[in-house]
Amino acid sequence: MKPLDSVKSLRECGKPVVGCFPPYPPLELLHSMGLTPFVLWGLRGEVADAERHIQNYACSVARRLAQFVMSDANGLLDGLLFYNACDTLRNLPEILREGLAESGAVAPPMFRIHVPMVPTEQTDSSGYLRNEFESLIGSLEAHFGVRFSEEKFAASVALYTNMRDLCLQLEEDVSQGTMTFTDFSENLMSANFLPVENQVELLESKIAGSGPSLDSESPRGRVIASGILAPPNSISRLIDDAGFRVVGNDIAALHRSYAYAPETWSDVYDYYAHVYGNHFPCTTLLYTADKRVEQIMKMVSGRRADGFLFVGEKFCEYEYLELPYLEKQLKELGTSVLAIEISIGDDTAVETYRTRIEAWAEMLEAAQATTSPRVGQGGK
Amino acid sequence: MGHEKTNSGESLTRLIVQSYMEAFNLWKEGAFVVWGAIVVPAEIFRGFDNVVYCCPESHAAMCAAKGAGPDLSQIAEALGYSLDLCSYPRIDIGCVSGGRKLSPTSGLPKPNLLVSDNNNCSLLVKWFDVHHRNMNVPHFIIDVPFCYEPQAEKDLDYILTQFNDLISTVERLSGQTFDINKFYDASMQTARALFEWKRFLECAKHRPSGLTVFDSFVQMAPLFTSRGRTELVEHYKLLADETEERVNNGVFPVPNEKYRLLWDNIAPWHRLHKMDMHLRELDANIVAAPYTSCIGGLEGSFELFELALGKDPLWYMARTQNMSVCPYGLDLRFDAMSWAIEQIGIDGIIFASNRSCKVFSVMQMDLQKRISEKYKIPTVMIEIDHADPRKFSDESANMRLDALVENIASVRSSV
Repeated sequence: MKPLDSVKSLRECGKPVVGCFPPYPPLELLHSMGLTPFVLWGLRGEVADAERHIQNYACSVARRLAQFVMSDANGLLDGLLFYNACDTLRNLPEILREGLAESGAVAPPMFRIHVPMVPTEQTDSSGYLRNEFESLIGSLEAHFGVRFSEEKFAASVALYTNMRDLCLQLEEDVSQGTMTFTDFSENLMSANFLPVENQVELLESKIAGSGPSLDSESPRGRVIASGILAPPNSISRLIDDAGFRVVGNDIAALHRSYAYAPETWSDVYDYYAHVYGNHFPCTTLLYTADKRVEQIMKMVSGRRADGFLFVGEKFCEYEYLELPYLEKQLKELGTSVLAIEISIGDDTAVETYRTRIEAWAEMLEAAQATTSPRVGQGGK
Repeated sequence: MGHEKTNSGESLTRLIVQSYMEAFNLWKEGAFVVWGAIVVPAEIFRGFDNVVYCCPESHAAMCAAKGAGPDLSQIAEALGYSLDLCSYPRIDIGCVSGGRKLSPTSGLPKPNLLVSDNNNCSLLVKWFDVHHRNMNVPHFIIDVPFCYEPQAEKDLDYILTQFNDLISTVERLSGQTFDINKFYDASMQTARALFEWKRFLECAKHRPSGLTVFDSFVQMAPLFTSRGRTELVEHYKLLADETEERVNNGVFPVPNEKYRLLWDNIAPWHRLHKMDMHLRELDANIVAAPYTSCIGGLEGSFELFELALGKDPLWYMARTQNMSVCPYGLDLRFDAMSWAIEQIGIDGIIFASNRSCKVFSVMQMDLQKRISEKYKIPTVMIEIDHADPRKFSDESANMRLDALVENIASVRSSV
């Protein structure tokens, strides 16, 4: 189902629908207050109306988000929630307001928080974060006429934690070769547009449907995929077709989003202090920078990956400023790195990437042939 | 100003050379060196006996103005840094990665501490992280919440907490003790310098203007190398006195000024002279820019926000953290630009869409629309890169500047 149709379906649930700016909004909180949140990414299509408001050197996430809110989903959203995720996104709320006004529409109410971007060992920002959440809860209560309760919040957290656990299980299925990376990423990206209860159902059905390994032979390369968004299906298919097995991912819309859930917490404020404080590192969470390379190295060695595939979101300076160092560290570890770049329209320009991905597969395969077969693998 | 070197021009050269030389000399003698982003309150470092403050952004701008931008950028690009990244970090990373000899100052002394902030852009944090990893130097991040309305008290308190943590961090790492009186004194020097800076910019209100924006772009540099020092006050007093005197004597940079323009973005460092000359030929003068006028104000305001007697300077530094060009929203930018149009007298606006500064540029399209609708003045959008001439076309920019001037003339003739 297309994102727009999915959002229309969300409205049929009868609860106010809140579009949340990516990548890591507090979804559990909104859900617990009787709202239906979803993250405004994984959107597809042209950005015709947004072109009048945002230059073409902004990333596709921001431009598609703008197009979706200003035009496609105009009138379908009961609220927008955003935080200081990145420099481009922080500029968007007023641009969206202007774009909607242009078509005679009024922007939906906007809610925001500032997530502290300082390392905890440098500055104690827990009081500030608490204050941000108190204000947010107050604003949501006042606008939607709902009440926050810790009990409901705990129930929502349990649902989301379950959903994230299921995502990790499916990721493991991909790693074992019982599900393709294409199916995995397509399902997870579309799940974003479902109520969390339905996400759980979808993921459970996918896990139940997982069969034996799809590979009759060992993969040509065990790779970690990295980036902001899951690659477009056409590119994911190339990855699968080339014989790669995606044994893990460092994608913001996938692993970085579901990798961590607090095991214990005392209240909503403590929960989000844990969520943001211990989040799987991301280039956009500035204070996690020191941990990021370490985590990726751990993932690469833990999952015995031969290669690291960086699917870069064009114009995402957060990602591109970290890439050279990360690449250097990975190569020193003996891990091959392939960097490709995606942007709007790249899912229709697949052939650009086919040769590079296939050549990389051949290279990894050749490298494997010169080394001993792994334990449990026949080699090739 | 103009073609001849003025006293303030000579003073500027002396001050810049002196500040870079002093930084290197003190570093050689064992001073604790801090690299900080431009909005980091350098006055804090003046509160220590032997701490040197350097500003990589300002240094990158100088490299670009001296024509070293492309060569330094290419060193970084060869290391894997994308051409789509801001040209400042590319220049800076190129400089520390073997390109020192290309820099007019041979780079900057090696840092002991990096202090970035995300008020202008979070990219600064990522950029300083590169140095943090490659040089194994601690990195302190100042997190400044973005403003859609004037800075909130809770945000100010949060910034103040971080400033206090910064002071403790410098004390711990440098082994020096923070002297609050020295910090107060430095803050007062900066406050006086900002007063003089605003007095200089005020000369743009005169018709013809007493300055071009290119003068103010160039004269910004000491604000990032000499904050908190008496030399800075003396320099800006000289600049303001001299500019006022020239206005009083009828000496103007564009004597036949017919078109008074506003520039919206960072300076095109590699094209200052060329663009200035082209506009003079058209009797056009860019008389102001939020980029230079925001310094010393609040949330982009062109007006001076004074450090009042008895007010805690640290509070003042925190309150002005959202002053620069990027850390506030469209409505505040619109207000600031409206003030400039009404108070300075602006006939047309150049929105410089800057690939190297997405955070400044994204929202210009709506700002342009709102300004055009309210003030009915001609505007134009040109493509620039503030420090990489490879992403700039003189022909394309000049064509649009010519069109803007023609448009203003056409509007006038139709009235």
